[in-house]
Amino acid sequence: MTGRRLHPFTLLAIAGALPALAWILPAPAGGMWTAAVALLLTLTPGWRPGLVVFRTALLTAAPFWVFLRLLHDVPTTIAIGLRITTMVASFVWLAATLAPDRLVEATVARGWSVTAAYLFAATITAVPTLRDRARRIVEAQRCRGLSPRGSLGNRLRALRALALPLVLSALHDVDERALALETRGMVSGARRTPLAPPPDSAVERAARWALLAACVAALIWRFK
Amino acid sequence: MIPALRFDGVTFSYGAVAVLRGLSFSIAPGERVALLGKNGAGKSTVVRLITGLERPGEGTVWVGDWNTRDCVPEQLARRVGSVFQHADQQLFARTVREDVSFGPRALGVGEQEVERRTDRALADLDLTAHAGHHPYDLPPALRKLAALAGALALEPGLLVLDEPTIGLDRALRARVSRALLDRSAGNVALLVITHDLTFAAETLERGLVLDRGSLACDESLADLLGDVTRLEPLGLAPPSVAALSVALDLPGRPVRAADAARALARVAQGRPGP
Amino acid sequence: MKSLTLERVSFWYPATEAPALRDVSLEVVQGEVVALVGAVGAGASTVLLAAGDLAPRLTGGRIVGTVSRRDRSAIVLPTPWTQVSGMAFTVWDEVAFGPANLGWPTHEIARQVDRAMAHLELGPLATRDPATLSGGELQRVIIAATLAMDSGLVLFDEPAAELDAEGASALWRLIRALAKGGKAILLATSALDALPDVADRVVWLEDGAVRAVGTPDLLADVAACDAGLGTSVATVWGASGLPGPYPLTVAHAVRQWR
Repeated sequence: MTGRRLHPFTLLAIAGALPALAWILPAPAGGMWTAAVALLLTLTPGWRPGLVVFRTALLTAAPFWVFLRLLHDVPTTIAIGLRITTMVASFVWLAATLAPDRLVEATVARGWSVTAAYLFAATITAVPTLRDRARRIVEAQRCRGLSPRGSLGNRLRALRALALPLVLSALHDVDERALALETRGMVSGARRTPLAPPPDSAVERAARWALLAACVAALIWRFK
Repeated sequence: MIPALRFDGVTFSYGAVAVLRGLSFSIAPGERVALLGKNGAGKSTVVRLITGLERPGEGTVWVGDWNTRDCVPEQLARRVGSVFQHADQQLFARTVREDVSFGPRALGVGEQEVERRTDRALADLDLTAHAGHHPYDLPPALRKLAALAGALALEPGLLVLDEPTIGLDRALRARVSRALLDRSAGNVALLVITHDLTFAAETLERGLVLDRGSLACDESLADLLGDVTRLEPLGLAPPSVAALSVALDLPGRPVRAADAARALARVAQGRPGP
Repeated sequence: MKSLTLERVSFWYPATEAPALRDVSLEVVQGEVVALVGAVGAGASTVLLAAGDLAPRLTGGRIVGTVSRRDRSAIVLPTPWTQVSGMAFTVWDEVAFGPANLGWPTHEIARQVDRAMAHLELGPLATRDPATLSGGELQRVIIAATLAMDSGLVLFDEPAAELDAEGASALWRLIRALAKGGKAILLATSALDALPDVADRVVWLEDGAVRAVGTPDLLADVAACDAGLGTSVATVWGASGLPGPYPLTVAHAVRQWR
């Protein structure tokens, strides 16, 4: 699995370089290639079976295309749409392959601040947690007679009954989380012991620098 | 008379893991049943099957005369009022009253009927004073009661509750007990998952014990709770009142506090003085 | 030796008129288990938060009086799913999360984690993903994770809430063993019937103030039974009209009956 074999910083570098290149390189070719690479990445084996990651990327990007088409003509829509698709697919891929604990371990191994890494990791893990909770809330509301089908009024009511508890309990949780994490010793400024720092190789380090160089080169070439 | 709930040879697996094996039992209207067993024995799965969130692999789950295979959860809500664990996370309305009335309103009964059911549910749990509060302003224990009120307001023929007393103190547990006994007197069947055997002794009358997916035991709580030899292999311990009845050899071996107190008083009166 | 002292502590949560704690004084000595009992909202959780230096520092609010701690403290909250790090994909890593944050060397971390996991019998779950655990299993993991931080003062808020009967008995035995090993334990629980075997002293909180302090025998007092805080045996005895003193446990009742 890519996630387990590549160093977290490499994953971050890829997920950062693709959208950067998508915006720097001339549309639509630039966006097309980067979007294709990003979507291909979502097909690589991760933790989730099947095409889940790929589908998630497409479904998340789809609404943007709709809005763009409402606002712009076709060429502009395609140009911006491909760039957004690259961003979305890169992030979705990253969320599916980057293990937050490995990111924190990698950060700690470098001697950098844990808190920043944790915040980023927490954002990523928030997604499956919220998704689980959303599922539980949907189930509970259905068992109270809420039908997600039917008239528009019905569906809007349904949305409110699902979204509100999710947001409220998530906010409530955030409150409790800050306190709870302190109870686990997460005090800002403390030096954390790395438990299993992910291995890094010279090849990967070189690849990361190369990606950065590619972005800079593209930038210079673009604005020459 | 059609049972309120019937499991007929139900087998269920999550992927390759068999969770329920050939489970069969039935619950009559008005009957009060405890679903007991160790963590992981399959109890929560039973609830998911009753509410239609899952379908049995083999066998049938009957809610009244409805086969759950033919129903979706929204339909079953007409007959089953369910409260899952951590139900305090499902509350969403601006006020407790609005949240409790959500269920009956979703069922489509008239506005007056919605009011009546909501008022009754709130009164049963002594929540009327909090009806106008925002759910998240209430302490978690009262939020749990609000979630239960939501299920009561559906006025279903069957109530299925998953650990309704976690986090409640004795007074609140007594409130829940009273509300459930009251509904049962109105012929509502109860199925309560609980590891609080004291609560079970006070409120329920029959015990179904699940062990690794099948029924290890199906008998009256009065008989079951005093019998250490039966409870121990199932990972259960007799609740204090039952243990007291056995230790003092009280007539009738009462398992409920009030009955034990009466039996104790009677025996004490009949004893020769010191 | 005193591990924790609260001296005339009053506490108000932010934007709340009524104090959550009123003039509470209590102390916990090393090697002792002190239990906080009371109705929901009586203030037991707040006492634990104050004792653990979480209130008012993280909760906000205002405090009056002094809280002094001799040892480092660790707390087990009643909601294990909020205390989960979200950053560990095995139970072992989850338990190691706290010690790693404390910056200990890896061999020390391994020692503490293995010991804590043995105490809570988590061996079979060591490689499981915490996100897939049941409420009861997660609670045991969080308890192990807290113990692995090896603090002198351990605070428990309804630690047995999610556990089944076996899990709960094992936990009470563990808490006694921890005290015997020299830790100071402050525990809030509604499992009154278990307290005679677990607690050395009981503090009865009512509306944020200390109503009574004593040995677990306190739970057999007429006052406690009337307030719904007596053990089941004492409550039944009292309800039967038999004269006091009420027996605390079944064993006491048998002795008294003879």
